Amino acid sequence: MRSALSWIGVHAVAIAMAIGFIAPIVFVVLTALMSDQQALTKDLWPHELHWENFAEVFQKSPMLGYFGQSLFYSLTATAAMLLSSVPIAYGLAKLKWKGRTWTFYLVIVAMMLPPQVIAVPMYVMWAKIGLTGTLWPLILPNFFGDAFSIFLLRQFLVAIPQSYVDSARLDGASELGVLLRVIVPMAKPGIAAAALFMFLRTWNDYFGPLLYTGENRANWTLSLGLAAFRSTHQVQWNLTMAATVLVMIPVIVLFFFAQKSFIEGIKLSGVKG
Amino acid sequence: MSVQNLSTAASLPGTPPGGSAARAPRRGAGRAARRNRWTVLAFMSPWIVGFGVFIAYPLLATVFYSFTSYDLINDPVFVGLRNYVFMFTQDPLVWVAIRNTAFLVVAITVGRVVYGLLAALVLTKIKRGSGVFRTLFYLPALAPPVAAALAFVFLFNPGTGPVNQFLALFGVKGPLWFNDPALAKPTLTILALWASGEIMVVLLASLLDVPAEYHEAAALDGAGAMRRFWHITLPSISPVLLFAVINSIIVGLQYFTEAVVAGAVASGSSDAVGNIASLGYPDNSTLTFPMWLYEQGFHSFNMGYASTMAIVLFVVSAVFTIILVRQLRATGATEEE
Amino acid sequence: MKRIIPAIAVTALAALALSACSGSNGATSSLSPAPGDDEKVTITVWSGFADKELAVVDEALAGFHKLHPNITIKSEGSQDDDKIAQAVRGGTAPDVAISSNANALGQYCKTGAFQDLGGYIKRDDVNLSNIPQAVRDYTEYKGVRCSMPLLADDYGLYYNKALFEKAGITAPPKTMSELQADAEKLTELNPDGSIKVAGFVPTIGFYNNRLDVWAPQFGAQWQNGKGESSLATSKGWTDLFTWQKKMTDFYGQDKLTAFTSAAGQKYSADNAFQTGQIAMMFDGEFRTGFVDEQAPNISYATAPLPVADGRESSYGGSDVGGNIIGIPKGAKHVGAAWELIKYLSTDTKPLVQLANGLKNVPTTLDALKSPDLKFTGTLAPFLDIFSNKNSSSLPTTSNGAAFLKTATDFAVKWQTGGVSDLKAGLKDVDTQITNDAALQQ
Repeated sequence: MRSALSWIGVHAVAIAMAIGFIAPIVFVVLTALMSDQQALTKDLWPHELHWENFAEVFQKSPMLGYFGQSLFYSLTATAAMLLSSVPIAYGLAKLKWKGRTWTFYLVIVAMMLPPQVIAVPMYVMWAKIGLTGTLWPLILPNFFGDAFSIFLLRQFLVAIPQSYVDSARLDGASELGVLLRVIVPMAKPGIAAAALFMFLRTWNDYFGPLLYTGENRANWTLSLGLAAFRSTHQVQWNLTMAATVLVMIPVIVLFFFAQKSFIEGIKLSGVKG
Repeated sequence: MSVQNLSTAASLPGTPPGGSAARAPRRGAGRAARRNRWTVLAFMSPWIVGFGVFIAYPLLATVFYSFTSYDLINDPVFVGLRNYVFMFTQDPLVWVAIRNTAFLVVAITVGRVVYGLLAALVLTKIKRGSGVFRTLFYLPALAPPVAAALAFVFLFNPGTGPVNQFLALFGVKGPLWFNDPALAKPTLTILALWASGEIMVVLLASLLDVPAEYHEAAALDGAGAMRRFWHITLPSISPVLLFAVINSIIVGLQYFTEAVVAGAVASGSSDAVGNIASLGYPDNSTLTFPMWLYEQGFHSFNMGYASTMAIVLFVVSAVFTIILVRQLRATGATEEE
Repeated sequence: MKRIIPAIAVTALAALALSACSGSNGATSSLSPAPGDDEKVTITVWSGFADKELAVVDEALAGFHKLHPNITIKSEGSQDDDKIAQAVRGGTAPDVAISSNANALGQYCKTGAFQDLGGYIKRDDVNLSNIPQAVRDYTEYKGVRCSMPLLADDYGLYYNKALFEKAGITAPPKTMSELQADAEKLTELNPDGSIKVAGFVPTIGFYNNRLDVWAPQFGAQWQNGKGESSLATSKGWTDLFTWQKKMTDFYGQDKLTAFTSAAGQKYSADNAFQTGQIAMMFDGEFRTGFVDEQAPNISYATAPLPVADGRESSYGGSDVGGNIIGIPKGAKHVGAAWELIKYLSTDTKPLVQLANGLKNVPTTLDALKSPDLKFTGTLAPFLDIFSNKNSSSLPTTSNGAAFLKTATDFAVKWQTGGVSDLKAGLKDVDTQITNDAALQQ
């Protein structure tokens, strides 16, 4: 009896929470399908379904171009991050050397640093090089490590038993060999998670593109495009919500594909009901 | 090997799989040591450059600029401590911004962690369809901040938004949400809760990793659900919990996008997002510290003063960094096995 | 060997000829000449306009190209001030920038973000007295003219004729007391006490109820003769805030807030004046375009803004402000850029074209008198308001609109009852404004 009640209770809470999470998205979609006039009223359900709103978004604003820019930014930054941060994390997790712990603290310092702290001199630096107006100031630093990803990867790698590393070393493998042939295959879920988080972070980045590509519309990302979507004089709510839906679709699609690697990672942990 | 191994690395008793680690070759073995040093350098070199060029140098430069007046068009002019004096004695909006950011740091951290933990706990109890629920819970976290802020301003519109209409069904007169100086930040907090899926997923993974035997054994000993939660679950997930707390504090300290967009749209201003007229609407209640920094530096041509503010922001984040590092050392999460 | 000497001589002569050509304009050698007729140049023009408005601007630019076929123009819209400033910093500035934020002019002139046009104006004998004084004031800073005006806004009283008839009011109010009396008559309440129709909304910050619009009507001076902030010392400010409180108290602060939060957006079709929920409103001349297009059923009229009691002789003017056009630092084709600016800002034809298309006031006296200017009906009063001797503009400062924000923040606090001592509060505002300006040294 008690377990039946608790089952109902838990499921009721879960459903209530699910509604809370999903309702805003539902309303956004519904508004995206409304006519311009109706979007300004109290109505919750569109009278007619204006699917053409989605097409109109592309006409009003070069969303496709922004999408391309966002994709370019996220993919390049993530690739750069993986290239640099996996070896760095390995160096912090599996190589023993003096000053290792203090270097790890530096990673944490970098991770916690709000970007606005260094925005001014970074901007000056990139302006002197002549790369402002492009996305490169946001991409290039990732070739030298991304603090958050290093932290995450390092925590993963630390959990891989040292015995695997040692036996590979005893077999005569170079450190690079150990990393590529032993560690990377074992750390796939962690690497996938780091890549996913990096992709999301760059996809949703607003402050960075605002600072560096603000003046050059050709290089805007989706976040800038959406924020500027209001026309000169007002917010057209139906179109703005349609644009919002369009901006969210790629990440949702990505999530559904990447979900598997998430689940893989959780499964690989071993026993759990 | 995944997220929950943060916990195995830290505080669970018992040996990690594979037995105790074989010792690495002793250092000081001449050629081996030199090779080791080169290897380390090779692996760590990107970070050395990265930290030096993109973290250390800008920090030092910011310190330098904080003592200047700099409009970024002409060369910086040295002004000594004037910016600091101004900030601490003559700029009332800086203190408003500090209070706002402090509120958001606390509210978002407590909110996200508690709500995320609650959602994760609920998910652990669901057997069938847990995947569906998990997806639904996590989906909002994927929403880009600009989109989420726009959506929420629309939803919480006092006159036409669904939220107030829903409340009207119960005869409750909905408040002004984003248009009320006392409620704007709490409404932003609700937005942060809605998007707390990232925390939830990480906590969920960690909760699932708590070995079932522990719970079973404790239950056999007569421990109730609350005691089991307090003495078994919480300690097991504490490293991940710490991660969640620190992550939320970072989010709070950097809070910029949602506040800017919400203020601009809620004020009905037709100007570009971030225009000074709508900054911090309503009544400077959504003016966060990073926003004021950006405004001073990139709108008002006060780069020097913005750098001064940046130094203060750095000091605060450094304090939290030190706390985190201390905690990690205490729980042994930074030690090698 | 034999060929070299003639070669050197030819080169030397060529160089001499070239340098003679470029210097032949006289004046200072730092002024760029207009490009020669056979010299093909492409200049970039940035503005904050978009959609239909951008099309109007592009038409005027095309007119320039017809006169100067060697100069091609690349026009980019939706470039607000942030982008312009960023471009100047990053070294990618356009040749010509049109900014709608005249408040930033002081910063632009002071930092050199916009180049000094004084030399060009002198060189080409541009007649500045063709530009009304108030307009000249907001386009230069401390004697440095780094921009030219390009269309402006002025403000007037919009009133709903049907509602006036219903309440038995025959003429628009000319003083603030009349405004209050009329507003009280025109206000209708719902059964639950909330505001159904507001006679006049006195909330500062709502729609175009801005301090810069209100101040001139009360004779409230932003600065005294010495350029110091004078909110505490200029009597007009005390009158302004006192009157504002009286009107707010009539409605009740909470009821007003509920009304304003539910009101439609400033420029959307459901603007509360355009839905008949507000009877009288202060707004710019551009509002006529919106009402005519979005709410043709509203029967409305326009008149000059009322003035404070005792200032009847200053009736007929308003705050004036507008776009500025300048040459950003780092522009590549300064000579050609100046030609375009000269054309757009002083030539009657493009000014009238832009004025008719954008429904903004043209900024030269000649253009104001042009028979081609289609400022009829409800737009007509705005022409007189613009050239009225009582019209004035915001002072230009080195830190842009910061003083406006400080004053507006105070107004918001005042109208929500958060200020107990008006005089002391105004003094604090003055101190704050002075401190902020000092930071700019």
